[in-house]
Amino acid sequence: MSSLLRDLRLLGIAFVYELRKVTAWRAGFVVRELMRSMWRPLVMIFVYRAMLLEPDARLGGYDFPGLVGYLILAASFEKLLFHQRGLDLADQIFQGYVTKYLTMPVRFFVLALARFVQHIAVQGFVLAVLWILGWLLLPQWWPQPHSAAAALSALTLVLLGSYCAFLVCFVVNVLAFWLDVIWTLSAMASFVFSFAAGVLVPVSIMPEWLAGTLRWMFPYWAVSAPVELFLGRLDPSALSHGVAVLLAWIVALELVRELAWRRGLGRHVGAGV
Amino acid sequence: MRDNGRVSDEVLIEMRAACKRFRTWKRKEGVRGFFANFLAREWQTVSALEGIDLTIRRGEFVGLIGANGAGKTTLLKCVSGITPVSAGSASMFGCDSFELRDEHKRRLSMVMGQRSQLWWDLPAIDSFRLLREIYPVPREVFERRVAESAERLGVADKLQRQLRNLSLGERMKMEIVGAFLHEPDVVFLDEPTIGLDLVSRETIRRHLVELNRSRGVTIVLTSHDMEDIEETCRRLVILRQGRMLFDGALVDLMARVYDRRAIEVHLEPHSAGWEEALAPLLEPFSAKLERSAPLSLLFSVPASAVQRFVPFLFERFAIRDLAIERHPLDMLIRQIFQERGPGAGAAP
Repeated sequence: MSSLLRDLRLLGIAFVYELRKVTAWRAGFVVRELMRSMWRPLVMIFVYRAMLLEPDARLGGYDFPGLVGYLILAASFEKLLFHQRGLDLADQIFQGYVTKYLTMPVRFFVLALARFVQHIAVQGFVLAVLWILGWLLLPQWWPQPHSAAAALSALTLVLLGSYCAFLVCFVVNVLAFWLDVIWTLSAMASFVFSFAAGVLVPVSIMPEWLAGTLRWMFPYWAVSAPVELFLGRLDPSALSHGVAVLLAWIVALELVRELAWRRGLGRHVGAGV
Repeated sequence: MRDNGRVSDEVLIEMRAACKRFRTWKRKEGVRGFFANFLAREWQTVSALEGIDLTIRRGEFVGLIGANGAGKTTLLKCVSGITPVSAGSASMFGCDSFELRDEHKRRLSMVMGQRSQLWWDLPAIDSFRLLREIYPVPREVFERRVAESAERLGVADKLQRQLRNLSLGERMKMEIVGAFLHEPDVVFLDEPTIGLDLVSRETIRRHLVELNRSRGVTIVLTSHDMEDIEETCRRLVILRQGRMLFDGALVDLMARVYDRRAIEVHLEPHSAGWEEALAPLLEPFSAKLERSAPLSLLFSVPASAVQRFVPFLFERFAIRDLAIERHPLDMLIRQIFQERGPGAGAAP
């Protein structure tokens, strides 16, 4: 218990430290944190406009304003999702910076976890500002929650999904103990994740066999499902299904993370690092 | 500068017949090799450490030297518990190094000259606050230690400045302030003065000697700079290809240093240089030719023979310039490398 309290206390201090780090480089903060995940949905708005030129044209049950609402929500939720650039563990492993932490009386994962907490805090704040501006400036386009419970359900799923994404990032970074192609893997993982999450195209309008498969993957429950819950297009009972899928993924990814880290440390032997 | 404190009998670090071996595969060349690398890898075992016996007691200041790839960092990693030994044993504070618990880790610290642990975009004080929580150190003790160490190292006014705006020397001083914040019993310093100017190196050495003397902190220092070793360490361990070549008191080694002089001779252009036929002429002086270039020669001579040897040199060569210096430690270490093969063990 005292170890848990110590970890929590360290997490708090490390969170402040990470917050200071992320805001220290101002240009990087604006480009990487504030504007992240804004451009692709913006492009997709023009793509959907071109596809749905007729006034009553629809795509899988969505009209154009509905798709714009979907894209705004998907972009918002994607901002909350942890991403590969948020963790520089692979660099630390390659360059040997991780070595010194290994002699410290600390679980390294707690320090990495502080990155996740910092990410949620920063992106949560950015989103709050963005949504207030959206409601004030674009009230006819900005999506409204179906109900307060729907909004809360969506947020719960996004946060759990973001933690899954963080664990995947951690595991991919830990592969740096074996491989030197981590950034290629990250870019590939990010592309697959975007597709499976339905960031650009709602999963519900994909072919049934594909949508059915994706419903067992955590990215769907991290973006597409929360968006549809928020809009009331998904039955509220989906929440329990989503939470169960995400928790199962968290347990599996935690096991993989622990195993990869232990095995990786056994290989951390490079000269001079 | 060496004014180290008293060494106690308490053993803090112990290695017995410690070996560290890695299994790696041999990368083959060419197109066939490209396929063979995938289909039929040829595995080989690389030995990074072999049969290391090492005992370090509380209060010692040990210099660990060796060429690149000699196994210095691997030894530090095995001792500090980052990686397990493949055979034999490595222990610290009486506990298997790879099984160190948090209470043991609180007693050690590591500084890596080429791997800053402080965050580039933040002032050092922010990173220290994180370290305060990791180790943990009470707030008032933390404030006092930071102020004292920073003052002693001359960086007290730089604590609030972004690390990226500090010089290399100032950054390393900050690393050292951070490493000693929790008053560790054992500190590993891996090339802490690499790339630093003379004044910074002096300041850091003096600080380390002072901490070793006043607090009895055990320091293991690896460095390629022999001045670092000479001015701080009392004991020297030399590694070569993973084996211990020498383990003994630096003062014994230095006795050999003080007994000899290095004479560097610069010859006039187009004059006669060194010839093998001259070698027997050096024997009456017990002199040795250490280095020979077309226009410069370096001799190692017993201090007592200098007076006779210099006139001999002027007689034999057209000398443009001549310099007599204390026998440098690195020359002596090179001799040790030459005298003992890679398979040789430590000195008794």
